[in-house]
Amino acid sequence: MARALINVPAKSKRGEIIEIKTLMSHPMETGFRPGMDGQLIPRDIIEKFVCTYNGEVVFSAQLYPAITANPFISFTTIATDSGTLVFSWTDNKGDMQVQTASIQVE
Amino acid sequence: MGPDTQAMQKDDLANPGMLSVLEGDALWKAPVGASQKSCASCHGDAPQTMKGVAARYPAFDEATQAPIDLAGRIIQCRAERQGAAPPQREGRELLALTSYVAHQSRDLAIAPPQDSRLASARAQGAALYSTRMGQLNFSCAQCHDDNAGGHLGAAPIPQAHPTGYPIYRLEWQALGSLQRRFRNCLSGMRAEPISAGSADAIALELFLMDRAAGMKIETPAVRP
Amino acid sequence: MRRSIFLTLLFLSLSASSQPPMSSEAGTQSLPLSLTGVAGDPAKGRAIVVERQKGLCLLCHSGPFPEERFQGDLAPSLAGTGSRMSEGEIRLRMVDSTKVNEKTIMPPYYKTEGLERVAANYKAKTLLSAQEIEDVIAFLVTLKDDTQK
Repeated sequence: MARALINVPAKSKRGEIIEIKTLMSHPMETGFRPGMDGQLIPRDIIEKFVCTYNGEVVFSAQLYPAITANPFISFTTIATDSGTLVFSWTDNKGDMQVQTASIQVE
Repeated sequence: MGPDTQAMQKDDLANPGMLSVLEGDALWKAPVGASQKSCASCHGDAPQTMKGVAARYPAFDEATQAPIDLAGRIIQCRAERQGAAPPQREGRELLALTSYVAHQSRDLAIAPPQDSRLASARAQGAALYSTRMGQLNFSCAQCHDDNAGGHLGAAPIPQAHPTGYPIYRLEWQALGSLQRRFRNCLSGMRAEPISAGSADAIALELFLMDRAAGMKIETPAVRP
Repeated sequence: MRRSIFLTLLFLSLSASSQPPMSSEAGTQSLPLSLTGVAGDPAKGRAIVVERQKGLCLLCHSGPFPEERFQGDLAPSLAGTGSRMSEGEIRLRMVDSTKVNEKTIMPPYYKTEGLERVAANYKAKTLLSAQEIEDVIAFLVTLKDDTQK
């Protein structure tokens, strides 16, 4: 998997609701499409997306073949403490990509 | 191009074209080929050195004594100056590099070079634009000049300015070049496609850039 | 008065079976002779008109097709065609509209010569077959303008 663009607010106040946006580069190949040779292109999709905030899962999503390529996922969470957000994307073969971002809370 | 699509384009963190630009940034700095040079080895920092470049392409290439498009120039550099395998047209590597270079001209006005040696390509491009083609017997001008703003079925007809190429087209679920977009139109008209990188393709691109002169580059654009 | 001249000429010419030359009647151009000599089926004609990949009609035209969404707005509505034009006039416009208006965006439905850069799989093929055109014409003539008595 390639890289993802992640947006975490630079600074937030304790208790504030913040929006986190992620854009992952991925073909999200459904497995239903024939290629130029007439054969079906094998399924290659992200199936699970999880975000932990200082170790606690704050958001997770199950993705299906209907989701378009380069999935954009945004969600809100409450800014609690400064620390690390860990994002993971797992595909249908079980390969996982992990990216982290730090968060500063006042 | 509705408000949702425009909003997607404006937000660099939601614009899927930016994923290619990010990839292009990495490629720009990576040493390749027999030379083990990266683009940066000669061209330095792209935001400085590539600023304005995309706005003045297609240009006249001294080496081949023919018009050349930006993608063609990148292929040439890769092959001849970096000693690497020439990247494929419409391939991921070339699209990433092209979008990265073109992105450095974002918000700059299109200003095709006033080079007299481009005159015949300009004429060729203008002729292609107004020639009826295909089983459906349409010319580009009939839709994009005469009927821009109208609707072909559900699809609004744009004026067809190449301000944001390579574009992320939602229909493609991928980034693609202007020449890929030509192919869509021409197959819709049931006409022979113009091959990417051909003299006709470059001539038509040059004509469109002339026609869009003064408009701002918005690479990578998002389109339905 | 004009209409009865058209109709008379139409009846006279329907007996012939080969491709007709264009005729000029009372200042309007038309192709009065059927392309096939077999009467067109209006139900089939309507099906062709609403099937976008086949007739392509609704990409540019709108018309009395309430079940069809997103009809184009580049060409006149097909409603009332049968009141405005004779069968022959419709036929001419379908076969090759450039004979009526050189700058038209209406594709030529029965022409294979004089076209540039036609895609390989469409070369030497007409957009619609002769009978399909007769079917469409048979349908379009049924579209009468209700306000005209």
